[in-house]
Amino acid sequence: MNPLIFTTILMTVLLGTMIVMMSSHWLMIWIGFEMNLLAIIPILMKKYNPRTMEASTKYFLTQATASMLLMMAIIINLMHSGQWTITKVFNPTASIIMTSALAMKLGLTPFHFWVPEVTQGISLTSGLILLTWQKLAPMSILYQISPSINLNILLTMAVLSILVGGWGGLNQTQLRKIMAYSSIAHMGWMTAVLAYNPTLTMLNMLIYIMMTLTMFMLFIHSSSTTTLSLSHTWNKTPLTTTLILITLLSMGGLPPLSGFMPKWMIIQELTKNNSIILPTLMAIMALLNLYFYMRLTYSTSLTMFPSTNNMKMKWQFETKRITFLPPLIVMSSLLLPLTPMLSILD
Amino acid sequence: MMTYIVFILSVIFVVSFVGFSSKPSPIYGGLVLIVSGGVGCGIIMNFGGSFLGLMVFLIYLGGMLVVFGYTTAMATEQYPEVWVSNTTVMGVFLLGLLMEVMLVLYVLKSEEVGVVFEFSGVGDWAIYDTGDSGVFSEEIMGVAALYSYGAWVVIVTGWSLFVGVLVILEVTRGD
Repeated sequence: MNPLIFTTILMTVLLGTMIVMMSSHWLMIWIGFEMNLLAIIPILMKKYNPRTMEASTKYFLTQATASMLLMMAIIINLMHSGQWTITKVFNPTASIIMTSALAMKLGLTPFHFWVPEVTQGISLTSGLILLTWQKLAPMSILYQISPSINLNILLTMAVLSILVGGWGGLNQTQLRKIMAYSSIAHMGWMTAVLAYNPTLTMLNMLIYIMMTLTMFMLFIHSSSTTTLSLSHTWNKTPLTTTLILITLLSMGGLPPLSGFMPKWMIIQELTKNNSIILPTLMAIMALLNLYFYMRLTYSTSLTMFPSTNNMKMKWQFETKRITFLPPLIVMSSLLLPLTPMLSILD
Repeated sequence: MMTYIVFILSVIFVVSFVGFSSKPSPIYGGLVLIVSGGVGCGIIMNFGGSFLGLMVFLIYLGGMLVVFGYTTAMATEQYPEVWVSNTTVMGVFLLGLLMEVMLVLYVLKSEEVGVVFEFSGVGDWAIYDTGDSGVFSEEIMGVAALYSYGAWVVIVTGWSLFVGVLVILEVTRGD
């Protein structure tokens, strides 16, 4: 793609999300979502083959439906409250419809079906933008309407998302689908605590973005999209096998790595609010996630994965220069001792 | 009948939307879109928005739909789908029509419809001229406000349209 056009379209994606996060008028928020959706379609279709076109079409259809539902919720809110300002949504019908629309945009169960298929059909860099940047805008709106969201619906969607994200990722060998299911599960964790303490949602989003960014960049660095291809990194850059190990365990939520921090805080916040069964279930279902991360680390860093002899050497393309990879790796694994700093967030 | 003109126009509006949502070939969708555009213009005019209604006819029907019609005529197939040619299309159209008829009967019979919002009878949509809108027409002032207080909206919409063209060219360019 012409670099000038590509920069313009990428900047429009950024502008769309910024408009969503900065506006106080519901119509501008809707416009921001549409601008974001419109501009990300050619980025998803950077490589021109039927798979990317199909993935972009699926993404467009689901997100456009979600925008239509959002517009309907905005209009119902307008009818009942008579104003367009962003506050909590007082009417229950509008609140439920808006929560469903934002859940469709995020990829929460039962609207999660597009996430693995779209992520699999596009290139690694586009998948990176899809799974990290595109989650910012809907989550910021959920944060702003969080006092009025129907708790039953939110918690049901959250728990089902963690379940689907864990269970669905078990049978996958394609790395992009694994990351997609991981994204579904993490979104479930984020929305579970939204009604209790939305700051923790933002904390979880921050740490999730750092970890996903790191994982994708490690995949891009070793040019691997399948587990088999990733298992050959010991031959190409042995250092990345260790880094993949650390980052994957951090994503699984193991102490003493940073991925433990959001899970710990979320479980603490939920138990403070007298719900015991829910965080127990969530923690148990996070084990499913941990299982397939462990399987990846097993095949990548802990064993020499079986393959035929002439496949052991990975073809050395010129080394990609990944910006900010070392700081990202450090941040996604070593942030746990900084947990007491969260007290400044109040 | 004139007191209920908005209600009648809204029914025709919904029926024409059902007409193109049941997915006949685009050229027939465009035909129904003309009807819905004209009826929508009528609804806006009944609320006093003569300028905006004229905008619908000129820009939407006379600009965008004409271009759409030309491009569809260039890309049309040999036997385009019409509502009676395919059982699926006819079925969806009849289903939408049936639902609209049931809703209209429900509205006409009962005094109050409380589905999502309060709608107390057909009389709720009749326009009463209270006569206190003053010297200025509200909708012209709204359009003027768009270009003064709403400058940010103009910038955002203008940029969206520009990027829309870039995106469409990029998507259809191929390799």
